Amino acid sequence: MSFNRRDFIKTVASTSVIVPLAACAAPSGGKSGSGKARLVVVGGGFGGATAAKYLKMMDAGLDVTLVERNKQFVSCPLSNEVISGHGKYEGLLAGYDGLMKRGVNVVFDDATAVDPASKSVKLKSGTSLKYDFLVLSPGIDFNYAGIEGYSEALANTTHPHAYKAGPQTLALKKQLEGMKDGQTFVITVPPGPFRCPPGPYERASQVANYFKHHGMNKSKVIIADANDSFSKKGLFEQAWKRHYPGMIEWVAGAAGGKVVKFDAKTNTASSDFNDYKGDVVNIIPPHHAGMIAKSTGLTNDKGWCSVDMLTMESTVHKDIYVVGDSTVHGELPVYGAPKSAHMANTQAKVAVGAIIAKINGVPAPEPFFVNTCYSIAETDWGFSVVHIYRAKEGKLVYDTKAGGISPVNMADESALKMQRKLESEYCIGWFKNIMADAFA
Amino acid sequence: MKLHIAVALAGMAFTGIALAGPTEDLARTCNACHGVNGVSVGPSMPSIGGLPEAHLKNVMLQWKTDERYSATMGRHFKGYTEAELSALATYYSKLPYVPTVQKADDKIMAKGKEATDRCETCHGATGGEPDDAETPKLNGQWAQYLELELMKYRNDAVKMPHKKMRNNAKKLADEDVAAVAEFYAAQPK
Repeated sequence: MSFNRRDFIKTVASTSVIVPLAACAAPSGGKSGSGKARLVVVGGGFGGATAAKYLKMMDAGLDVTLVERNKQFVSCPLSNEVISGHGKYEGLLAGYDGLMKRGVNVVFDDATAVDPASKSVKLKSGTSLKYDFLVLSPGIDFNYAGIEGYSEALANTTHPHAYKAGPQTLALKKQLEGMKDGQTFVITVPPGPFRCPPGPYERASQVANYFKHHGMNKSKVIIADANDSFSKKGLFEQAWKRHYPGMIEWVAGAAGGKVVKFDAKTNTASSDFNDYKGDVVNIIPPHHAGMIAKSTGLTNDKGWCSVDMLTMESTVHKDIYVVGDSTVHGELPVYGAPKSAHMANTQAKVAVGAIIAKINGVPAPEPFFVNTCYSIAETDWGFSVVHIYRAKEGKLVYDTKAGGISPVNMADESALKMQRKLESEYCIGWFKNIMADAFA
Repeated sequence: MKLHIAVALAGMAFTGIALAGPTEDLARTCNACHGVNGVSVGPSMPSIGGLPEAHLKNVMLQWKTDERYSATMGRHFKGYTEAELSALATYYSKLPYVPTVQKADDKIMAKGKEATDRCETCHGATGGEPDDAETPKLNGQWAQYLELELMKYRNDAVKMPHKKMRNNAKKLADEDVAAVAEFYAAQPK
């Protein structure tokens, strides 16, 4: 393994061919074709913040502006653990100083419209931003009309959905803390696809956990589900049986679980067949891509953004890249990319690679998408699902030989306990790193 | 030898994350859990930048083939080719090793020093100077991660290669495991 002079020259030459942008970004004053490109990122969640950071990291010469409504980001991952009292709300927060330090121009404003023809983004304050490339990461918005009787006003007052972390997370936590033994907590799950596929079931686990550790063994959680199966089902059901026997009841869509109506006065959610009366009723309304994606005309008839599977560029408008929960990416429902923080992170990196390649007139690098999603059902009882997607003959393919869920059963009880303990700890480590990967 | 350094520097000068394209694209996805440049900020996740190439390659390939138990990584690595894993091992080994020094009190340090007597032959007195290329650095690694790894080595119900490591891990007294992890985590070099 020793280099001779010719190898050395070859290495340097090939390096500068393969990473021309990095070379351009060197402080030696090298000019980058991308130096003048204007990038606008709308939405500072896991997808948008990661995109803004990596654009700057991969080519410091780019002019990158991030538009975000809130000065503080509140993470959805680990927010169920805040509801149950296992995590602190402060731990969910991140600011945008890290991105500013990296040279990202952060604008706290509301992006109200995108004009793909003039390539500009209109802001609520009245100004507009011109872009050469736009990364849209608007997350989700809720279709309150999907549940008759439920509304944004109810969500913000007496009946938080808490499916966007923030004040509603704390409101739901307070409701849980006000419950008495023997009372019922109802969670309604909208038809898929929805953000964080295991989220409602992890929430049910955390609520049961609260009951168990607060002497409320007669209390129950009912999950009224619009769907007939769910993410990590075997793992959740095992955890419920072990840790919360008889406490959590799941009603499939086919068994009348699909809630279509809510009566706030009697606290009753109803499907066409059943009524679910609870002391706390947590309605998770159906959702679709963030409004700005819809108003820009990027959504399909189901309300999600179709993208080029390999670059994340919108199939509707050129030079607009959509990442994160607002996209439909891959073959749903089985092998489609889940709407998770990790997926948004990996999609953002792929979009950034594709944009930088386009600016420099070279083909987009081969994409690689990976997802890791942990759930915590009880202290020292965590598990995960892993997805790996690759490009094959121009298509996005889910690798069925890799990935999958944590083992449900293991030959040895001590091995099983260790597996769950490890993943409950990895969940926290994952969270700290992915927050830093987006915001630091 | 001089050329080696020149190549490394040429790589570094670009962005700090350097070298070949496809491997760098792959490595970017690792950042989500292991930090930019393989420097983790999550105590249960190891820093991987600057670990010995042979060690990384061994462990990664063993996970892929289930020769070594893992809670999560094996499911990832079945989706990578052997060539990709080797390239990633090379890539990460060339990054600087950045210890995250975690202070521990004198009592724990004394206990840890005594208990790590058996580790010294292979890992060096502070974990910073491993005896061979297949042995990882431990100084300034995350204490929680080290403790979790020891838990794996101490459990006979899962498959962990390296008999010597397994035996020595099992010889540790229960109450010394945390001290050993904290002792190495506190070492700057």
